Amino acid sequence: MKAIENQIKEIAARLLQSGEVNIFLAWEKGDYEYQSKPYFARSVDDVDKIVFDQYCIHNLSNSLLKFRDSSDKIGLVVKGCDSRGIVRLLQDNQIERSRLYIVGVACPGMKDPLLAMKNHSGLFKVETEPEVAAKCQTCRYPNPVIYDELLGDQQAPRPQEARYAQVDAIEQMTADERYKFFEDTLSKCIRCYACRQACVACNCRLCIFDEMRPQWVGRETSLSDNMMYHLVRASHMAGRCIECGECERVCPVNIPLMLINRKLIKDVDKFFGPYDAGIKYEEGVKPPLSLYQENDPDNFI
Amino acid sequence: MKILKKDQIEEALNRMADQAEVYVPLQKGTQTGFYTWQSYDNTTDTLVLDELNVSLPPKQVVFPPTDKMYSFKQNGVEIDIDKIYEAIEPQVVFGIRACDLQGIACLDLVFLTKGYEDNFYKARRENLTTVAQACYQPGQACFCSSMGVDPVHPEADVIISDLGEEGYAWEAQTEKGQALTEKIAELLEEKEVKLPELQEFTLKVEYDGVAEKLKEMFEHPIWEQLSEPCQTCGICTYLCPTCHCFDIQVKTWGDEGYRFRCYDSCMYEEYTREAGGGNPRGKVSERFRNRFLHKLEFFQERYGTPLCTGCGRCIIACPTGISIIKLIEKVKEADTGA
Repeated sequence: MKAIENQIKEIAARLLQSGEVNIFLAWEKGDYEYQSKPYFARSVDDVDKIVFDQYCIHNLSNSLLKFRDSSDKIGLVVKGCDSRGIVRLLQDNQIERSRLYIVGVACPGMKDPLLAMKNHSGLFKVETEPEVAAKCQTCRYPNPVIYDELLGDQQAPRPQEARYAQVDAIEQMTADERYKFFEDTLSKCIRCYACRQACVACNCRLCIFDEMRPQWVGRETSLSDNMMYHLVRASHMAGRCIECGECERVCPVNIPLMLINRKLIKDVDKFFGPYDAGIKYEEGVKPPLSLYQENDPDNFI
Repeated sequence: MKILKKDQIEEALNRMADQAEVYVPLQKGTQTGFYTWQSYDNTTDTLVLDELNVSLPPKQVVFPPTDKMYSFKQNGVEIDIDKIYEAIEPQVVFGIRACDLQGIACLDLVFLTKGYEDNFYKARRENLTTVAQACYQPGQACFCSSMGVDPVHPEADVIISDLGEEGYAWEAQTEKGQALTEKIAELLEEKEVKLPELQEFTLKVEYDGVAEKLKEMFEHPIWEQLSEPCQTCGICTYLCPTCHCFDIQVKTWGDEGYRFRCYDSCMYEEYTREAGGGNPRGKVSERFRNRFLHKLEFFQERYGTPLCTGCGRCIIACPTGISIIKLIEKVKEADTGA
């Protein structure tokens, strides 16, 4: 990874020096060896601080939303999943491809700095930290799907058997058991909206949950408002979630958000697929539910 | 000194819970927080008094995330108020740490002083007995001592100290504490014991002078720089034991409904959105600045204490690694041209 880090630094310095980009999104070291954090380099002098190590788990494509109204030229480092986030933004017309210089890194799997922080904090009893973060364990696309420059050795996708294991288990439940499961799970939600903010697919300029006239979803931390929030959020993800797993990773109360997303991924794949969101950018091509066709299957209605 | 044996804790909590809602630090599934002892299920939950602290702060004991204020019904052209929800049940918070207790002290300042008393808050607060657990072993994200909090002598009604196998030392500090002590008197033993030594803090920051310095820093590049990774979620505000912003909203159906208040977060864009569409804090850096200025400058100016108690939760849980410690250090270093 040190070699990749050096290559990233060279590229960043080259791009910032030549003016090809004026911002370069990467990571810097936090206060702990197990903490890396997003870093926005703006000059060649900033490049020294850039790191790339096993804790660079954040999906930086999400940060591009901060620049959607600017004319900045942006370089950024993306892993496989993050690169699908870029396709998401391009398909959603959030940013122009010509403003981006994408440095792809074939990703061997990351560790979660948040989990490590929690583990060392004394505030949470966390089971032992896994070799790679939970979100990486069923990774389908470790290699970037869109890039201007590619670093690192190609990586093999992780085994996929466990991908729908929990979805299948929930599907096997009776309706009552399922309701109880979601009641328990979603009543924990504190409505901090971290799942939405960490999500690259949540790129609406005015989110439905922030709309006040009318207020579509109530602001009580009650089971009904929480369920409404999560159901609406999830259905907006159908066909659009690029499986970076950031929502679940950042959730401070450990709601299994990817379980909900995976159910929709499974259904979209079944009804409209085979389909994986954000694996290829072609101009004008939209995800299944972002496009209407008369022959769309509707026998599930 | 009075000692409560560890195998008597459950019985003690049962007795307290007889006449009061007792909040204790519990691990429920993958989550830790203060939950009622009445909700404790020994097949799925663990009492985590031996952990440093819990992830969700106990502020909901006096300031619930959603707090019903009153319900109403339409009566012709009039509105009838059905019920006003002022909580008067006695409550005990057991095992609260000094940082979180200081959090409640900050809420007291907001809701009970400067000429305005909030009835809903006051009703809960007056009926609350606090049993604080002294902290002798600060964690890696703990910096309460830097924010003026004494981790071993919290201003609680009762202080308990973990003596290991001996049990908990039990020291009543106030009348309320005495009353609670009497309730469990037969479970307490008298014994000569030595309290543990407070271990060194690994995380420290020099807060002195920060509020004054910040006065000169409203317009400073530091806010743009440090807020860059911020995703403007509300984790820091929801996990903070002192953040207390709320909104008042209403739920109606047919000709009836209720008005309630609920947590709000200054990190949300919608928080300062005006009816006409304007927004004085539309930018991330502006919201980020406001959060820290409120904590470290405005609150200090108004109440003489910072709105941060050094619990460390925001440092631990921030998805992008933003740290209030780093921020304070940067403020200290910052060039204000003065």
